[in-house]
Amino acid sequence: MNKTSEQQIDQSAKFAFSFFVASAGLWLLAAALLAYIAAAKLTDPLLLSSWEYFTYGKIKISQANAFVYGWGGNSIFAVSLWIIARLSQSPIRGTVFLIFAGAIWNLAITSGLLGILDGHMLGHELLEMPKEVWPALFISYIIIAFLILVVFRSRRQKVTIAPQWFIIAALIWFPCLFLFAWNGLEINVGRGTLQSILSMWFGQNIIWLWLTPVALGCAYYIIPSVLNRPIDKYYLAIFGFWCIAGLAPWSVVHHLEGGPVPMWVPAVGTVMSIAMVFPIAVASTNFHATAFKDVSRVWNYLPLRFVIFGTLSYTISSYIGVIFSIPAVAKLTQFSIINEFHFNQRVYGFFSMIIFGLVYHILPQVTGKEIGTAAKNFHFWTSALGVFALLLAYLIGGLTHGVLAQQPTLAWITVIDSVKPYFLITEFAFIILGFSQLVFVLNLWKVIVPNPFSCCEKNVEQKTA
Amino acid sequence: MNNIFKFAIYIFLTLAFAWLAFFVGAKNQYGDLEPTSEYLEENKSVPKDADLFPKSMSGNAQLGAKEYLSLGCVTCHTQQVRTIDAGFDVERGWGQRPSVPRDYILQKEVLLGHNRVGPDLANVGLRGYTREWLHKHLFNPQILVEGSICQPSPFLYDVANEYSTGAINADNEADDNASTIFIKPTLRANRIVSYLESLKQDYELPEMSFIETQDEDAEDVEDVEDVILAEESTTKEAQSGVPTWLADQIASGKEIYSKVTPGGGMCVGCHLPNGLGQPGAIPPLDGSDWVLGDKERLIKISIHGLMGEVVVNGKKYVGAMQGFGQTLGSPLNDQQIADVLTYIRNEWGNSVSAISPEEVKAVRDSHKNRELTSMWTEAELQKQNSSD
Repeated sequence: MNKTSEQQIDQSAKFAFSFFVASAGLWLLAAALLAYIAAAKLTDPLLLSSWEYFTYGKIKISQANAFVYGWGGNSIFAVSLWIIARLSQSPIRGTVFLIFAGAIWNLAITSGLLGILDGHMLGHELLEMPKEVWPALFISYIIIAFLILVVFRSRRQKVTIAPQWFIIAALIWFPCLFLFAWNGLEINVGRGTLQSILSMWFGQNIIWLWLTPVALGCAYYIIPSVLNRPIDKYYLAIFGFWCIAGLAPWSVVHHLEGGPVPMWVPAVGTVMSIAMVFPIAVASTNFHATAFKDVSRVWNYLPLRFVIFGTLSYTISSYIGVIFSIPAVAKLTQFSIINEFHFNQRVYGFFSMIIFGLVYHILPQVTGKEIGTAAKNFHFWTSALGVFALLLAYLIGGLTHGVLAQQPTLAWITVIDSVKPYFLITEFAFIILGFSQLVFVLNLWKVIVPNPFSCCEKNVEQKTA
Repeated sequence: MNNIFKFAIYIFLTLAFAWLAFFVGAKNQYGDLEPTSEYLEENKSVPKDADLFPKSMSGNAQLGAKEYLSLGCVTCHTQQVRTIDAGFDVERGWGQRPSVPRDYILQKEVLLGHNRVGPDLANVGLRGYTREWLHKHLFNPQILVEGSICQPSPFLYDVANEYSTGAINADNEADDNASTIFIKPTLRANRIVSYLESLKQDYELPEMSFIETQDEDAEDVEDVEDVILAEESTTKEAQSGVPTWLADQIASGKEIYSKVTPGGGMCVGCHLPNGLGQPGAIPPLDGSDWVLGDKERLIKISIHGLMGEVVVNGKKYVGAMQGFGQTLGSPLNDQQIADVLTYIRNEWGNSVSAISPEEVKAVRDSHKNRELTSMWTEAELQKQNSSD
């Protein structure tokens, strides 16, 4: 690959990438605000309670949606666009359509969230936005995914590598998943708890088959390209990929253990989620065996530090997830706030950290402007601290919650009283995370939005950095 | 993996297989479950005249489920009692038995949930809370349960400092300085409370019977327990005169009868609160041979309407009534029509059998091709009746 063609590709991606990253950043802030309000409402139930728009349930659900579709969706578009273009050595075409579809995507999410707050939510996990917005979301998604696939089709190198599998698969999984779930939940509506099975299946798979593979693909891309050495035991990667593809759609229903569904459903789910140790082990070996050969480079190059934080968090917490799917343990933790731990470790500790790393890696190349090291470092440390505090609180709080709830003589209010301190910790953790995300967005802002004074003071940014 | 089309098909198939198993497979396994009796005959048939369970919720409770969903209550409350091996729910007293798929087949919004920051609600209707208690808890949980983190919903109530009919005293007893507060539930609050009251799995099914827990009172010895339960339920019915499911249906029907805004039946406008109508134009409902007589004819009129001359109790009336099945404003669904008809058949001096949503559905389906705006005439109804 020669320099000029790389620059051409970056130039072609500049506008669309900046647009998606900027919208992702704004959604991240919105989600952070909602997350804080939700956490604060748990410590003080009277907060905002006289407004019907801000019930805890509505806030919590719109936060999850803003996070997954707003931040997750836009950042997936941004990084997959750039990585696929770079790996295919082929420039991006149809920027106008990308921006147009992206605008529809964002508008649809905005109106969907307003719909939730106005009381029109659906009862399906991560499909809560009102019916009317889904066609718009689906069509805009198809346009964006199609344009990325066009770039992929025109690649120079016919043989594909790991990052391409993961990212392309994720792009295809989302619409399939959506159509399957939509069919069973809104078109040929399943009776009774069939809806619950499908809704659980969709909600968990969005995390496992959409956010997760993109983040894994990013790690598979950035680690060898920055360290300039091949992935260790790369021949295992294909096994890891097909393990996730084959096992994840089956494993997610273990959350229904003991519920009013056919017994084989959670049983299959449990077996498959224990089998998930294989793909977790493969990814972990691939990433860490490669990264630990050059620890100083990982530590000193901040984007990579973000990514390795993400992959470590993926490994540790996925193993914890496997343990919690064992029936004897699930009995305690199934309905406790451990669920919050699972969700937050996956979207904050793993997905978001990797995306932060990728954005810091890509932005300077695309825009030609460097982001200040101090600001980036501040972002890293506050993120790490926030994620750590949040996950620890949810983990220990969840165990307390589960163990105490199991004792039938203990009044429910006593159980909740002993979990309250952990809610307070999460509230603080969300404040820290909110700050760190604000810094992230300001960092983006400085690079993406043209500075009106840049013509007269060209060197100011470098100096402050 | 180098051919995008092949790759896309593989990716599609990974999902398709799981979907086939979890959705199509489970659908074939229990998708056509129907309500059944508590015990089956030896040849697996349903005993004659046995009550079928689960019962469908009253129309009011169904509307309450929508409110429950829209406020996001499902974020913190589950509605499922897990099996004995998988959890401690029965021991905790959250149900007399684990929930089974059949319990949910008549629910439109199945809100199993998967977080328990609040207690499980699958059997909240069995815990002996009064309507007043539930209203107070919705209004401000902290005045009833100290330290609760349940979110108050004051926007569901009209708050006043003086008593008016239907209002509930909701003073904060923990706070001495607090002034006296009376709350009047809005329609929505009433619906939510009806929904909560309707949540109960208090019947056994052929596939799941009640579970004995160890810490039960001494007198509830195994053998006697069923008898005691049966006695309790009969005394309960004897006290109020009607079983609770019928009372629910009548209460919901009354709301539809009297409501004149969209979502209601507006019946009260013409037939009046006393059900007497107006001489010559609007036939009475109280004691009417049409109301107390053939159910099918009654359902037909409520769906498609009636116009022209009609003879009720020997007197002639001329007028027209719109059908409530048509999409004018807001059509009534099967459950709502069943509720309102059950109400008029059991109000004033009337007291005859209830009408179930299934019966309404059967009539609606058999006249699917009839235009909803084309009203019946007396002649048509009489002719069909005699030809049947």
